[in-house]
Amino acid sequence: GVALGAWPRVTMEASELWVGFVGAGRMAGGLVRGLLQAGKVPASNVLASAPSDKNLDAWRVLGCRTTHCNLEVVYRSTLVFLATKPHILPGVLEEIRPAVGSQHIVVSLVAGVTIQTLQRLLPPGTKVLRIMPNLPCVVQAGAMVFSRGSNAGDEEAALLKSLLSSCGLCEEVPESYIDIHTGLSGSGVAYVYLFAEALAEGAVKMGMPGALASRIAAQTLLGAAKMLLETGEHPAKLRGDVCTPGGTTIYALHQLEKGALRATIMDAVEAATNRACDMAKD
Amino acid sequence: AGVLAAHKITASSPDTDLPTVSGLRKMGVNFTVSNKDTVKSSDVLFLAVKPPIIPFILEEVGPDIEPRHIVVSCAAGVTISSIEKKLSTFCPTPKVIRCMTNTPVIVREGATVYATGTHADVEDGKLLEQLMASVGFCTEVEEDLIDAVTGLSGSGPAYAFTALDALADGGVKMGLPRRLAVRLGAQALLGAAKMLLESEQHPGQLKDNVCSPGGATIHALHFLESGGFRSLLINAVEASCIRTRELQHLADQEKISPAAIKKTLLDKVKLESPSLSVASASKVSLFTSKTKKN
Repeated sequence: GVALGAWPRVTMEASELWVGFVGAGRMAGGLVRGLLQAGKVPASNVLASAPSDKNLDAWRVLGCRTTHCNLEVVYRSTLVFLATKPHILPGVLEEIRPAVGSQHIVVSLVAGVTIQTLQRLLPPGTKVLRIMPNLPCVVQAGAMVFSRGSNAGDEEAALLKSLLSSCGLCEEVPESYIDIHTGLSGSGVAYVYLFAEALAEGAVKMGMPGALASRIAAQTLLGAAKMLLETGEHPAKLRGDVCTPGGTTIYALHQLEKGALRATIMDAVEAATNRACDMAKD
Repeated sequence: AGVLAAHKITASSPDTDLPTVSGLRKMGVNFTVSNKDTVKSSDVLFLAVKPPIIPFILEEVGPDIEPRHIVVSCAAGVTISSIEKKLSTFCPTPKVIRCMTNTPVIVREGATVYATGTHADVEDGKLLEQLMASVGFCTEVEEDLIDAVTGLSGSGPAYAFTALDALADGGVKMGLPRRLAVRLGAQALLGAAKMLLESEQHPGQLKDNVCSPGGATIHALHFLESGGFRSLLINAVEASCIRTRELQHLADQEKISPAAIKKTLLDKVKLESPSLSVASASKVSLFTSKTKKN
């Protein structure tokens, strides 16, 4: 049985927040690391549940509490993150539904599960939000978008944004953007890895050792991204700034254009977005 | 453009039947069949013949070139040094300016660049710039950039005409009458070019400004990207520039005597159907400066 002792009071103060994670996989782990590192929530206020200890060990190392009981997470938390695999979620929701009340803020990280579905499977009036993070949340350089359900208000949105900004960029969007975010940034991270790999291979071909090439490739992407974010300039302008007339860069860019790289990337984003839409319908 | 009075302009061509000749005459330009007369009555000499004919023309008018003359060559791929070399046998310090312009000078929206030769003064360059600025954009450049300019703005109008023809086809396919399609396509490009010239913004930003999320334009752009639109344009500019250099290289290797060129090319010129461009039709067309001698 679950110890139903003194439940935590409802509060919007982040430092007094009791945060629960149903599911303790990589994405959840990334989020909690961000929260803890930014000092948003003390580890002892965090409770995570998972079927096995496999994932939970890492959480304990961080100082979080762990359990195998999803209901316990709901009873002992006000902010509940749902971080299960998509096909498991409906069962989990059915399980925890009796314990969900008006004090709860339920935030789903589960890919492809719409707010409509979440609200249908939870008690009416539940404050629900849906978030789509991406992998670099684990290093606090994530890109996340979230949408609110019918009963989630400005306070809840502001709380979520304030908490998760510790993991990177966090913006509220209409729910229709979430699948696009998947194509752009959720999957987008993989495109970048592919690009980095190819850059390094090019360098290896030209005679540089692989390990060095990989590190330089990664730093190049990091530096370019940082300049984009910090200067706020249009990428086309930044690109032009690097291209001295008749120089190496413009020669290389010509090769990229010949390969229709831009269109291919657009195709990729489109494919991932469409796939996300299709999967959500299943 | 009102920069010069027509009577201060003299043009010459051996073939008086060309449509451009009558056009010039109608404008009030003095016309002669003698290149020598043209040189004598001018201060600024535009050499607007086809590149292979330049050496032959220089041989012919060389003796009449005086220190006051500014010789402006518009011939693609003909270097300043080759002109100076030819003229130096007649005149120790010939003033030579090389320029590259394009056909829209006809509607006073030309794109012109010029490079000054060894003995051309700053004022000579400025005079040319003043003349050419009256028919569009004109700026000075280093001579080694002129081939690139040829590839970009020299040939550029042709790329635009091709694009416009195709855009019009697209319009017609989707139901527009041809004339309207052409008119709208041209206006779209004209307007876009004007926006870019008047804006501080990068063309990429201006493009973004037109693309509403999930809208028509971004769908269309995706097609352009898929077809390698950008690389095609880069290829085109590159090809034109490289070809210009090749032609220049061939011209520099002139192993044939001027006399032999004269006969061959004279025949060739007569056989070629005259185009409407002033530059290619007449043998030598010259514009005087403000100080006309008569």
